[in-house]
Amino acid sequence: MKNPENKPENNEGFVRASDLELGYRSGTETQRVASGVSFSLFRKELTCLMGPNGVGKSTLLKAIMHQHPPLKGEVWLGNAPASHLSEKERAKRVAVVLTEKIPTGLLTVRDLVALGRIPHTGWWGQLSPVDQAKINEVMALTSISHLAHKTVSALSDGQRQTALIARALAQDSPIMVLDEPTAHLDLSNRFEIMYLLRDLARKASKAILVVTHDLEVALETADKLWLMDARQPLLTGSPEDLMISGGIQRLVPGQKWRVDAASGKIIRNTTPLPCQIEGPELLVGWLKNALRKNPELSLPDAIYLTENPFAIRATFSQNHRHFNSISEMIGYLQNQLKTGKFFLK
Amino acid sequence: MIFTIFKSWMNKFQTQRLVIVLLLCGILWLVNLSLGSVHIPLKSLLGRIVGNSFPHSSWEIIWMEYRLPKSLTVLLAGIGLSLSGLQMQTFFRNPLAGPYVLGISSGAGLGVALLTMAGTAFGWQILDNPGNSWSLVAGASAGAMGVLVLMGLAAWKVKDSMTLLIVGLMFGSATSSVITLLAYFSAAEELKLFTIWSMGNLGNTGWNDLGYLAGAVVLGLIPALVAIKSYNAMLLGETYAVSMGINFQKLRWTMILSTGILTGSITAFCGPIAFIGIAVPHLARLLFRTQSHSVLFPATAGVGVLILLACDTISQLPGMATSLPINAVTTAFGAPLIIWMIMKRSFSEEF
Repeated sequence: MKNPENKPENNEGFVRASDLELGYRSGTETQRVASGVSFSLFRKELTCLMGPNGVGKSTLLKAIMHQHPPLKGEVWLGNAPASHLSEKERAKRVAVVLTEKIPTGLLTVRDLVALGRIPHTGWWGQLSPVDQAKINEVMALTSISHLAHKTVSALSDGQRQTALIARALAQDSPIMVLDEPTAHLDLSNRFEIMYLLRDLARKASKAILVVTHDLEVALETADKLWLMDARQPLLTGSPEDLMISGGIQRLVPGQKWRVDAASGKIIRNTTPLPCQIEGPELLVGWLKNALRKNPELSLPDAIYLTENPFAIRATFSQNHRHFNSISEMIGYLQNQLKTGKFFLK
Repeated sequence: MIFTIFKSWMNKFQTQRLVIVLLLCGILWLVNLSLGSVHIPLKSLLGRIVGNSFPHSSWEIIWMEYRLPKSLTVLLAGIGLSLSGLQMQTFFRNPLAGPYVLGISSGAGLGVALLTMAGTAFGWQILDNPGNSWSLVAGASAGAMGVLVLMGLAAWKVKDSMTLLIVGLMFGSATSSVITLLAYFSAAEELKLFTIWSMGNLGNTGWNDLGYLAGAVVLGLIPALVAIKSYNAMLLGETYAVSMGINFQKLRWTMILSTGILTGSITAFCGPIAFIGIAVPHLARLLFRTQSHSVLFPATAGVGVLILLACDTISQLPGMATSLPINAVTTAFGAPLIIWMIMKRSFSEEF
């Protein structure tokens, strides 16, 4: 950071583009997916690219990987535009982890990681001691050294994803691009992988771009968010700022859903519950959660919650009732609804 | 000696296996030279290799004019076909791909069919003597090259490898239908000539032919060897390979050229040899327990030679005057072997 030579790079971003037009060209037809896309991706930062399906996130990734060059504009990778680099030079700058299932087979984890050295080896693919050391280093960094001789088909989903990240690391590129690395992973592995990436960005000074739909994990781990939606070009900023400014609402187009600024969760837009609820904040929150899921219920006039032991007292117009759990109350209210309907008939 | 050379890119287990395969190749080569309608004892054979002469002059003719060139043809065909198959399987990421999926054998077949059968079918007389082995080679080469050029044009037009595979299969079907038509209208004798060609024959290559075949096989192997690293990258699929700096279009042309030259030349001289190209790469993967092409290339070549030598030895029918068509043997003995190996291990998982 103190090195003045690093300064302009840090201000500009290692990967940058302005006013890109993204899309596909097939024959004479061009299909534009997004336009006016500008961004800067910085080293030592974990950036999450988010947005609804079909807005061109993958197209943006492919533009950075130069597999589908932008229709207009240039993506700069460090000091050179992507289109000016040879395949090999590009491979030394950008490593990827894709969503596509890799054909597994007899490949051992170490073999898989070693494939990442391909841009650095000679025509025969012979691994030099430097390559071997790099492979050992990235396997230690991602804590998969003990899996080295296991075949890829014997790994769990989380381990396989980590091994693929290690392969990308072995490519020794300043930029890493990952397409939904946490899909199919269990709850704790989602966090493990993203914290690993965050760690790698810091330790190995990488610019990491992750496409994810996982808002919870992104808010927790990302340094920057890039939000993409169908109408406007990319909106970038720190997750916290976007949350406060309301920019995050672009993730959920339409009126039906919104991102709840208090919890960082996506919730359904509902009118306030026509019912007075009192009690400890935590309990009230979860009760509201249950009631929002069942908007058809006719609610009591007031509900009082107490903890230790947990109890619910619901006041109806004529009487009041006690419940020991939320599901008990919901069950009672649903029953009321049924009998009510019965009477209406 | 071999161990120290190979150690740098193979582990001990793989080196041992490769040494065993090469030793077996050597033993089987001697057995192949020794057995047949006329039995040449191993002792005289070894003596002849060292430089002594045979006790019978007829053995010298059998050895020099027939068995030795044939065994060398087996060597070249075994290497060429199995390495073509390996390249195709890795490139198309398809365990059923083989050297003939791009329609090379059908093209060669069409060339031979036109030469042998068009005479009566259309009243054409392309060559005076269609039964001549050189004209068969010329016809097969022309046909194989024709298909290769067509596949090149198709590859230029379509960028998707699955589409390319389907186009190759369709070329094969289309040429087969022309062959069927020709066969339907041709005379019985010509039909038999063509049928026998299509059964494969490793024993038709004299020393001159062998020179050309060896040249073609070496020529076809060079692009494949240069692309070993690219084939390794293809293990993760096309997108990953490109992300690792592999020029996919270049690899595609390498694959088409290498497999085209290898299978085209072998088919021209030996006819379409079934089974070897599809099965041997799988055997090599199972035996060497690896996907790395720097190991699989020598392994597949070795196993290919071994299997084809074994099949050829069987087809010579030791002690009998005739020999069986090589395709009957490769298929009859090879298919059950492969079925057994597939049943024993989780095959698709290991591909």
